[in-house]
Amino acid sequence: MKELRDLATKLLAEGTVNVVLGWEEGPRGVRPAFATDAAAAGRLVFDPRCTQNLVPYLSPRRTQVKKLGKAAVVVKGCDARAVAGLVRETQLAREDVVVIGVRCGGVIADPASPEPLSPATVADRCPGCNSREPKLADHTVGELPAAPPGESRRDVRIADLEARTADERWAFWQDELGRCVRCHACREACPMCFCERCVADKTQPQWVDSSPHPRGAFAWNVTRALHLAGRCVDCGECERACPVDIPLGLLNLKLARVASERFGYTATDDPAVPSPVGSFQKDDAQEFIL
Amino acid sequence: MNGRTISRSQLAALVDDLVGSGVGVVAPVRAPDGRLDYRPVARLEEAVLDGGLPRLSLKSLFLPPTEPLFSFRKSGPDVAIDSVPTTFPPRLVLGAVPCDAAGVAALDKVMGWDYRDELWFGRREATTIVSVACGKGDASCFCGATGNGPAGTRGADLLLLPLDDGFAVEVVTPKGEALLSAHAGRFGEPPNEADVARRRAGLLEGRVEPVGSLAPVTAWLGGHFDDPVWDGIALRCHGCGACASVCPTCHCFDIVDEPEGVTRGTRRRNWDTCQTARFTLHASGHNPRSVQDARYRQRVLHKFSIYPERFGELLCTGCGRCSRACPGGMDLPDVLGAIAARAAAPAGGAA
Ligand code: SF4
Ligand code: SF4
Ligand code: SF4
Ligand code: SF4
Ligand code: SF4
Repeated sequence: MKELRDLATKLLAEGTVNVVLGWEEGPRGVRPAFATDAAAAGRLVFDPRCTQNLVPYLSPRRTQVKKLGKAAVVVKGCDARAVAGLVRETQLAREDVVVIGVRCGGVIADPASPEPLSPATVADRCPGCNSREPKLADHTVGELPAAPPGESRRDVRIADLEARTADERWAFWQDELGRCVRCHACREACPMCFCERCVADKTQPQWVDSSPHPRGAFAWNVTRALHLAGRCVDCGECERACPVDIPLGLLNLKLARVASERFGYTATDDPAVPSPVGSFQKDDAQEFIL
Repeated sequence: MNGRTISRSQLAALVDDLVGSGVGVVAPVRAPDGRLDYRPVARLEEAVLDGGLPRLSLKSLFLPPTEPLFSFRKSGPDVAIDSVPTTFPPRLVLGAVPCDAAGVAALDKVMGWDYRDELWFGRREATTIVSVACGKGDASCFCGATGNGPAGTRGADLLLLPLDDGFAVEVVTPKGEALLSAHAGRFGEPPNEADVARRRAGLLEGRVEPVGSLAPVTAWLGGHFDDPVWDGIALRCHGCGACASVCPTCHCFDIVDEPEGVTRGTRRRNWDTCQTARFTLHASGHNPRSVQDARYRQRVLHKFSIYPERFGELLCTGCGRCSRACPGGMDLPDVLGAIAARAAAPAGGAA
């Protein structure tokens, strides 16, 4: 922690950056922090409650963050993939942000929970994580903790869904997506949903019904999942933001696996690796194109 | 307490009576993922009374996330309009959380203000609300500061207070009285006053609310639209609107025409929220609320200044749902505390 605080203080003092995006104690567990002076830098924390991905705050749409000036951002390995995603898709110039990587032993799903990290509290994405030490970083702090506890709950749930018939899967998603209220919190909290004008907001023509009836809820969630296929960095923010707890991570992870099987791409924090939607190779699978 | 008692078994029988006579009974129900949702029940056993707050608030039963207003059909130069029914079958909500019921009462004001919202009041008239006093508050609740409380009766027709076997029943409205008289045989003697008082006190025991009196905040807000307190207030806010979705009093909606083929369509109203950038985006591209600070200020002002000024009450019941739902760690009591501190500071009083 001292290493992180000292580094943030130094970056601010020497004028390398104007703000450090990290985590601090808040009224409900840890919360995103925007440290602009030494006092605030001295309050930064990193521990297993720091589940929030702070990279969405680097989006040009976050005008109130932009106003603070040049930023450093503290990232876990999964968050670093979001920085890489933004650089890869030319939303962010690598030199415009200072990246502070933290070595990570997994986080709990709910940053407000007082429970310690355990197989029961661990975030879905952490068990089996192979990016606990971000490579895309200007500075890396902390010792590498033990691997996250527990087994992937999502593997079990996806295997269970795959074993069902198409009708059963349809019923499962009807039920889950039946709760969707089309608030688009999933989109706003997602680092990779940076479109200035989302297809779901277009009205002429209206590609996606804006109503949260079954048709609108399906159209929206399927559209979003497909737009994130091979782009989603598995940071879990969409599912955490969803006010009705739709298991969006299941959709995203399944599509990430399809992208990996079909195009050999796995989300990475190396911005030089092209993503399937942003590149074309002659041997790309294309038998599905009519 | 002006009321009666009802045992659990008699309450179960009452639910059977109501369901049998065609009344839709809605109650908090445990979803497979462990969370609660207000859902129709066929029997009392399906309901979870005093289990804490359901995911979406009670407002969703009166202002659903989406609803048709009318449909239209074109034939040649003519357009035919098919209206939607504005009367609804009888319904009973059992186990409303008091801060949720209070939200519905607060919304009656705006829904009946410049014109009477037929769909809202159609559902209101068809519905009897039976609240159950809440013993499940947490550190984000501030219902006391908003003038409600864990045994608050605002918006309820009957309030049930849990006893060892069953509940003490407080009659709040004539509608509640009507339910009680129609099923008088299901209700027992008035409860022991001392027991009721002890249990009411028990609900407040050890409760520390995260924010004090809101009167100074409300008084100060009106003249301080441009105060520096707003600068950076919403740095961590994503503008995602999760808070408005779960809030029992946020009620903004959007109106859309959805075509169904070439000659027909439906006009619907859908939940909307002032927290998104698009909410105030003009066709010219100009956005009068161009930063999230301004959008968040709107949420605070609407709830704690504009609504009280126009309707004499807060547009917040202190349920704490917004803080719990927020992915960015925005915490309403924390913000209200910052505003209260600013209002109390010597320079803070200047308009
Ligand atoms: S996915 Fe990996 S890097 Fe991200 S929080 Fe979990 S363990 Fe840490
Ligand atoms: S889709 Fe969800 S998990 Fe994937 S990058 Fe966006 S917020 Fe993160
Ligand atoms: S956050 Fe959840 S409820 Fe909101 S639009 Fe996304 S999936 Fe639907
Ligand atoms: S306050 Fe929280 S829940 Fe509300 S819009 Fe902002 S980030 Fe979303
Ligand atoms: S503003 Fe927050 S605390 Fe107040 S009623 Fe709405 S969700 Fe509850």
